[in-house]
Amino acid sequence: MIISYEFAGLQQYEKAVKDPVFYVALRNNMLLISLFIPGSICLGLVIAMLLDIVGGKVESALRALFLLPFSLSFVVTAAMWAWMYNYTFGVANTLLSLLFRGLRVNWLGDPNIAILSIILALVWQFSGYTALLFSAGIKSIPAEQLEAAKVDGASTLQVYLHVIVPQLKPWVLSAFVVLMVFALKAFDFIYVLTNGGPGVSTYVLALLMYRRAFFETDFPYGAALATILLSVVVAVVVPYLVSSVRRR
Amino acid sequence: MTNLAKAIAGAFLALFALSWLLPFWSVITTALKDEIEVRTTVPIVPPSNPTFVPFVKAFDSLKTGLANSLTFTLLATIFSTLIGSVNGYVLSRVKFKHSDVIFLMLSFGIFIPYHAVAIPLIMVTSRLGLFNSILGMALVHSIYGIPICTLFFRSYLDELPSSILDAARVDGADDLTIYARVVLPLSWPAFIVTAVFQFTSIWNDFLFGVILTKGENQPASVVLANLLGTTSAEWNVQMAGTFLYALPVIAFYLLLSKYLIRGYLAGAVRG
Repeated sequence: MIISYEFAGLQQYEKAVKDPVFYVALRNNMLLISLFIPGSICLGLVIAMLLDIVGGKVESALRALFLLPFSLSFVVTAAMWAWMYNYTFGVANTLLSLLFRGLRVNWLGDPNIAILSIILALVWQFSGYTALLFSAGIKSIPAEQLEAAKVDGASTLQVYLHVIVPQLKPWVLSAFVVLMVFALKAFDFIYVLTNGGPGVSTYVLALLMYRRAFFETDFPYGAALATILLSVVVAVVVPYLVSSVRRR
Repeated sequence: MTNLAKAIAGAFLALFALSWLLPFWSVITTALKDEIEVRTTVPIVPPSNPTFVPFVKAFDSLKTGLANSLTFTLLATIFSTLIGSVNGYVLSRVKFKHSDVIFLMLSFGIFIPYHAVAIPLIMVTSRLGLFNSILGMALVHSIYGIPICTLFFRSYLDELPSSILDAARVDGADDLTIYARVVLPLSWPAFIVTAVFQFTSIWNDFLFGVILTKGENQPASVVLANLLGTTSAEWNVQMAGTFLYALPVIAFYLLLSKYLIRGYLAGAVRG
């Protein structure tokens, strides 16, 4: 690897501004932030509440089932979803065509749909994790509070929406930070599932950095992209860490 | 809770459970089918004539990768857990000037995107002669595991009653003696949580493998990704490979999910 260490100002960052794929990647990271994060938090909340209502052995068995994908490698889950989304054989299209008279979706082959398919699969992988966090939050709420609300005539739904959910705020915050960092640095799953395709439609910043640095051996530009990625992560994580240390 | 609410919740959960199981089901059924059946039936349908040939083929392609992964995962799990234990003890119990700042900087290491260190990492491992080697992978994973391991041990030791350590201190024991005689034997639950967490996350890693290794030295994650990319027709072999690579983590999960869950919770709340 031969690299010139001469100062080049912002030359490498100008490359990013002129790189059309950089904007595709930015848009996809933004889509992950605006769809994957709320999706995983909402589904996690719903699952945690349903588990809490059911209770007992079913609760802990199902919680373990929902968490299982989170403990697996992204290479494994991407392989699973490549097969789930297969146009001819995949489970997704098999079920769709049964339910809606032969409807088939080109999950990974349509450039407008592929990124959404990725987000859906990631919500599947992460919702068990957010559900675990929220379950722990629900368990930490004193039982007397819930009893009191019920004595006042609140329905099950009201207890959850007005008593439990507001108290989960710190748990939602830590889930948000973990999901945010993931949404910014997402790589393995997309690399294996679509490798940025079709075309460049599912590129994200980390994949663009990898391709530019290691495939096209443009290390300086790759380093600039890595720095952009790092700056955004710093901007999200450092305030959170500082505030959590202050709280101790 | 009313019975109606329970019934409705149960119905929804059954639906969710089904959609969580389907991807696993379609991996297993496909991995047990021969080539003809893969192309004539959908994965929802179980194999009519189960065969283990895809597993044999997949194991043949993956075995070197699996051995590589196992070697550096074990080494790095041991090193990072031990270092984390010492760090956690010092940052929780010894305390010194600016120890909070050091902990803060260390905590950032948990969130650092590996892409940000990828290029320097290649340069450093090359200089050390550890590029494209199992030992290099073990070293890199040990180092990048230190922050989360430290966090686990510090959180655990923070909750230990200080009277235990104070008693030893009154008896005139120094920090090192207290660590070896008191802290170490008491921290076995933290050791299990940390080791299980580290084993699964190092085993699952893809990026370090793909940038730091080539050919014979690639970990199972990278070999599997290559298998998925190249032989696009042989879905049964690909799914068998996916199952084989996931197997150690699934086994850990079934046996020790309690500890893994503790790790996930500790990693998130204190962040």
